[in-house]
Amino acid sequence: MKKAIFAVLLSALAAAPSVQAAAPVAKAVTPADDLKLYRSYFMKKFPGLPLDGYANGVYAIDRASRDGWEAIEEFPPYEPFVEEGKALWNKPFKNGKGYKDCFPGGPAQNKNFPYFNKVRKTVITQELAINECLQANGEEPLKYGKGKIASLLAYMAFESRGQKTNVEITPESLEAYNKGKQFYFARRGQLNFSCAQCHFQSVGQRIRSDILSPALGQTTHWPVYRATWGDMGTLHRRFEGCLEQVRAAPFKLQGEEYRNLEFFITHMSNGIPFNGPSFRK
Amino acid sequence: MQSKNLAAAAIVAVLGTFASVAEEPPPPPKCDVAAVMAEAQTAQKKAQSVGGEWRDLGKALEQAAEAAAEGDCEKAVKKYASAKSQGELGYQQALDQAGAGNPEYLSK
Repeated sequence: MKKAIFAVLLSALAAAPSVQAAAPVAKAVTPADDLKLYRSYFMKKFPGLPLDGYANGVYAIDRASRDGWEAIEEFPPYEPFVEEGKALWNKPFKNGKGYKDCFPGGPAQNKNFPYFNKVRKTVITQELAINECLQANGEEPLKYGKGKIASLLAYMAFESRGQKTNVEITPESLEAYNKGKQFYFARRGQLNFSCAQCHFQSVGQRIRSDILSPALGQTTHWPVYRATWGDMGTLHRRFEGCLEQVRAAPFKLQGEEYRNLEFFITHMSNGIPFNGPSFRK
Repeated sequence: MQSKNLAAAAIVAVLGTFASVAEEPPPPPKCDVAAVMAEAQTAQKKAQSVGGEWRDLGKALEQAAEAAAEGDCEKAVKKYASAKSQGELGYQQALDQAGAGNPEYLSK
């Protein structure tokens, strides 16, 4: 009898390492190692799909969804927002200056964001730069997530089409990158899900009637007109929605958590062209 | 004429009585929830301190406060207990995931 109990205990102990192996493992890897690993994973998952193709998100991996999307792109629902954004860009501030004074390179700015500001030791996103520009010129900042800021970003994204994602990780910005990475792979919320479980592990599978999009290329097409919203929204608005879906309390839009997350996932798409604004289901 | 005035006065007096009754419903029973509420709020703050708060924790706290105000003490205690549990689990989850990184399946 004792032998039988001992045998059961032994088999339970033997099974334990395989359970541990399923848990996420933190390794001292560089962002370049990460990039190689993530690309190799997706290239194996979707052989034949070129890197640039990932700019189209889920429409790169599902033919039927792509056909519908291409039909919608004939008369894109984001067009009025691009127009509104253009008007906002050209409207002078009360002091006579304008966005062009904050962004001397013009509206095509996507390739420059997000970046790490070494002096302030924080990640600067395009939305943050827009609002800091407004405040520096005595204007009220815009509300994050949707509305005028989404329209302005839509115009800037439209002008940035064809530019390539290019996020540089330096020794100074490594901490922000790693925080974003930890956020991405950490399970959270009552449903105990991580971002990676949907966009790496289960990519291409269905969640209700939707197909889970690849993590690669996930930052290239923002802002988007989302049918679910019936409106234009920003990347951080989507982060907020994802967290709510896994029943986690969302963080503040443009707070440090989301900016670090954006830094990490945008770096993942280095080399992939920007093609925003776009439409998503 | 005098009897008509008396009748009118009587009606007004009766209506007044009803009105005063309608204005003062019996107060709901007071719930002794201070301790469970404090525990739930502490658990929420603990989860927030590590970025691990769950979505419905705040809602449970609101529902508990509403139930307590309405005198539904059983519901209030249940909701505070749920909020406390969510706070504790969210805190533990965040600690467990603090070292999250590339999962092994990426290398296979």
